[in-house]
Amino acid sequence: MARSSQSELREQLASEYVLGTLRGQARARFQNLLKYDPALRQGVAEWEQRLLPLAVAQGEIAPPARLWQRIAARIAGRPGTGRWWAGLAFWRTCAITTAAAVLALGIYIGTLPKPEPPIAMVAVMTDEQARPAMVVSWPQLRDARDPHVRVRILQAHPPLPPGASWQLWLLPGAKAAPIPLGLVGPDRMQTIRLDRSQIKNVWQSWGIALSVEPEGGSPTGAPTGPVIFKGQCVKVL
Amino acid sequence: MTEESARPVDRESGKPPPSHAPGAPDARLATLLAQCALGDQPAFAQLYRATAPKLFGVAVRILRRQDWAEDVLQECYVNIWHHATDYAVGRSAPLTWMTSIVRNRCLDWLRRPRPESAGEEYDIAIETWADDAPGPMERLLANAEAGALARCLRQLESRQRQSIALAFFHGLSHSELAAHMRQPLGTVKTWVRRGLERLKGCMDAP
Repeated sequence: MARSSQSELREQLASEYVLGTLRGQARARFQNLLKYDPALRQGVAEWEQRLLPLAVAQGEIAPPARLWQRIAARIAGRPGTGRWWAGLAFWRTCAITTAAAVLALGIYIGTLPKPEPPIAMVAVMTDEQARPAMVVSWPQLRDARDPHVRVRILQAHPPLPPGASWQLWLLPGAKAAPIPLGLVGPDRMQTIRLDRSQIKNVWQSWGIALSVEPEGGSPTGAPTGPVIFKGQCVKVL
Repeated sequence: MTEESARPVDRESGKPPPSHAPGAPDARLATLLAQCALGDQPAFAQLYRATAPKLFGVAVRILRRQDWAEDVLQECYVNIWHHATDYAVGRSAPLTWMTSIVRNRCLDWLRRPRPESAGEEYDIAIETWADDAPGPMERLLANAEAGALARCLRQLESRQRQSIALAFFHGLSHSELAAHMRQPLGTVKTWVRRGLERLKGCMDAP
């Protein structure tokens, strides 16, 4: 019973969000929920399918010519690559956080069980406030019998909503799309086994990102949800 | 194909394709978005010409001020240019995706505190949306493009239909609806909620 009224409430909020009657603080809170809740995003998408085609059916109004001039001036000379992994800001943040990476790496290595092969590469991923949040590291993979990357969650993280998964992505560089690395659960220490085919991708990546995706991972093969942690790969061996 | 010929046919005179069929205009807009994602500025100019009058209409109706609508549309088109890669073919029609960006930005705009005195100096008036006069509701229900939505709107009670239309097209909040329709807030909220529930039931029915 409680469950059904909960889902009715979610449906009502999604419908009023799209209609436009969810306002003020309620609207801001709902937008925040949407970031971490793929099922809620789906509900909104369905309401957009129902209502939005009608929004443009009420007649056109020609905008003044100056509007296009203002827009054209804003985009002039800039390629339209809105991919977050291609943006200068992303890599700049990564460079700034490399210092944090080195520091956290020292702490991290100190906590490793001894029999592990030495770490060859590490990415300290940070959250939006540039706080270290997650460490992904791996040993020399080429000759490893059991190639894997290790994932360690360092801090309290946003809750994983029901019906969602966290997915790690390799970032091969500004020109190339992220490559899925694997799913991550809530455990503090985890291991992701690698296919032989992934080894080269891992070695050639500049950075790693964690996004919130529908359960089981992105349906499209590219990140679809918000990126909550990201970091640059640092070679240590 | 010239740009003009690919535009959706005029609603009053022509016969546009049914609303959810991936018609030629959708395919063309999707192609333009894909070209924008690759940094093709002429494609972006074409996308603007094909969509700006529709989206400006959406923004002016919600914000009721031309200058605000210009500011919002400028932000939205710059965003669309930078985030064209985020458009996923198959998840929504291109114009639906762009409309969602514009509507959300308009509604966020209405949230911000305004230094200038808001209220009296609107450029356009709120239309009546009553059933008993030739007006926007009549045009809407007769609109072939509206398809299932128009059919289902017709099945709502008159007050439910009117409150949903005022909220959707003119961005009225619950309290603005209550003032405009001269009804208690709770009553108006119930109209909106029940109306949306019935719309969903009707539109999702096979």
